[in-house]
Amino acid sequence: MAAALHHRPRSRSPLQDEDLLSEVLLRLPPQPSSLPRASAVCKRWRRLVSDPGFLRRYRQHHRRSPPLLGFFRSDYPGISYTPAMEAPDRVPAGRFSLNLNDRYSILSCRHGLVLISHSLRNQVLVWDPVTGDQHRVAAPLGIDMATTLMDGQVLRAAADAQHFQVVLVNYKKKYARAIAAIYSSETGVWSNLIETPVPREAMEYESMPPVLVGDSLYILLPGDSTSVILEVDLDSQSLAVLGLPMDTFAKDQFLMAMRAEGGGLGVLSLTGFAAELWKRNKDCDGVASWVLGRTFEMDKLLPLNSEQIRHTPMVAYAEENNVAFLRTFDSIFMVQLESLQFSKLPENSNCDICYPLESVYASETSIGGGHDGADQNMLNQ
Amino acid sequence: MATREAGKKMIMLKSPDGMEFEVEEAVAMESQTIRKMIEDDCADTAILIPNINSKILSRVIEYCNKHVPTTGATGAAASDTVAPAALAEDLKIWDAEFIKVNRATRFDLIQAASYLNIKGLLDLTSQTTIDTISDNSLEEIRSFLSTKNDYLPEEEQTIRRENQWAFQ
Repeated sequence: MAAALHHRPRSRSPLQDEDLLSEVLLRLPPQPSSLPRASAVCKRWRRLVSDPGFLRRYRQHHRRSPPLLGFFRSDYPGISYTPAMEAPDRVPAGRFSLNLNDRYSILSCRHGLVLISHSLRNQVLVWDPVTGDQHRVAAPLGIDMATTLMDGQVLRAAADAQHFQVVLVNYKKKYARAIAAIYSSETGVWSNLIETPVPREAMEYESMPPVLVGDSLYILLPGDSTSVILEVDLDSQSLAVLGLPMDTFAKDQFLMAMRAEGGGLGVLSLTGFAAELWKRNKDCDGVASWVLGRTFEMDKLLPLNSEQIRHTPMVAYAEENNVAFLRTFDSIFMVQLESLQFSKLPENSNCDICYPLESVYASETSIGGGHDGADQNMLNQ
Repeated sequence: MATREAGKKMIMLKSPDGMEFEVEEAVAMESQTIRKMIEDDCADTAILIPNINSKILSRVIEYCNKHVPTTGATGAAASDTVAPAALAEDLKIWDAEFIKVNRATRFDLIQAASYLNIKGLLDLTSQTTIDTISDNSLEEIRSFLSTKNDYLPEEEQTIRRENQWAFQ
């Protein structure tokens, strides 16, 4: 006798079946306009794409390909947002508004969360710009945000996890040491302080935001004579100092930690217009070495007016999209480091470091309600 | 009866229109629904698939045959000499050809993939459906999917206004 699978009533079209329809709608591209447009098709579609369970699955489905929506930056005394996508995916700045009434600056933006420092209070604010959720966390004893050079990072343990982690690093130049602590919102407590010796010469300058590769954050610490990379292993909660591909540094050389092609840690070195992509490889004995990958000339790639520009400093790196942001005097170029395709944003402010927002713009509040703000506005006056 | 052919365990799948398909157990187990039946020992003879006609079932088996991990049943895909990246590329090309079917067949395949819980086939069929509509206007989407616009004009206006930027 044959075994039989359970019979399931068959509907005329799979799109009449709500489970199957949401299965199909889950594959809508992760672009911001997808769900608002789908919700305008009919009432049933609107109900399905507004469902919190659907939104969770949609974000999960696209977690490895979040679009680069735009970028934040500290714009004294507040924070400003600039959209980077074309219409109809250009989510206006007014959607990401935050009322701050004191001096704050951005430390990090990752996995759709923004980490903001309130150094005078030795406190950080974790802000979800899509839902508006805010969490304040006081820095642990032993981390000084007000008077010591520092880095702060935010991340989610898994892309769609409710919980987040905050990493604060202090650079104690006098003692040639880096000290770090890791906070988990799941437990609500900080780890013990972890520390490692770091060459004093590598703690001269503020660096580009760190990159997350696997379970580790990599912070490139540039110095005139010595540069190193500080590795924060979130899994083992330990610090290590790694060398760079080059021992000597040119005067105009700019270094940035990045995700290498095919995974792993990479470094982009830009000397004038000459770009080199390096990758850190480990052999079977676990011995690491740097391998030079592609090289290209930035001035041949980008339509630059070379009479006016001698070099193009990097101001941001979007790690999920592998896009470097380069500033010229009147624009920002976004260069995808694998395809070398670029786009240009008009930009007239002499901006400093930018913090790219890479996120699937889909929250309960994004469908219905809300307000459209001006394209680029100061979120805090 | 489950039989053996060249050392491989075979299983019989029956469609409601009376057709029988003898397939390798590994191929049938690409379906998580069937895998569970086999693992729970509920499928020692043959399995009746009540919802899927023989035309669609044969296409589903064709898909599973191609996608079963290197068991020797899939010709070129089983070769040890082919690099994984080339294999993936080969599968992508094959999938693109496989899904060149009319809308009714594709909808039937979505239902079958969901019912039999074959993730790769569900991804392929759903994604293809979305890709065909995602560049279209709302009117075209409604007509293509035979979906009726049940909004009053003012309701639709309100919805567009809520996210005006998404309709520019």
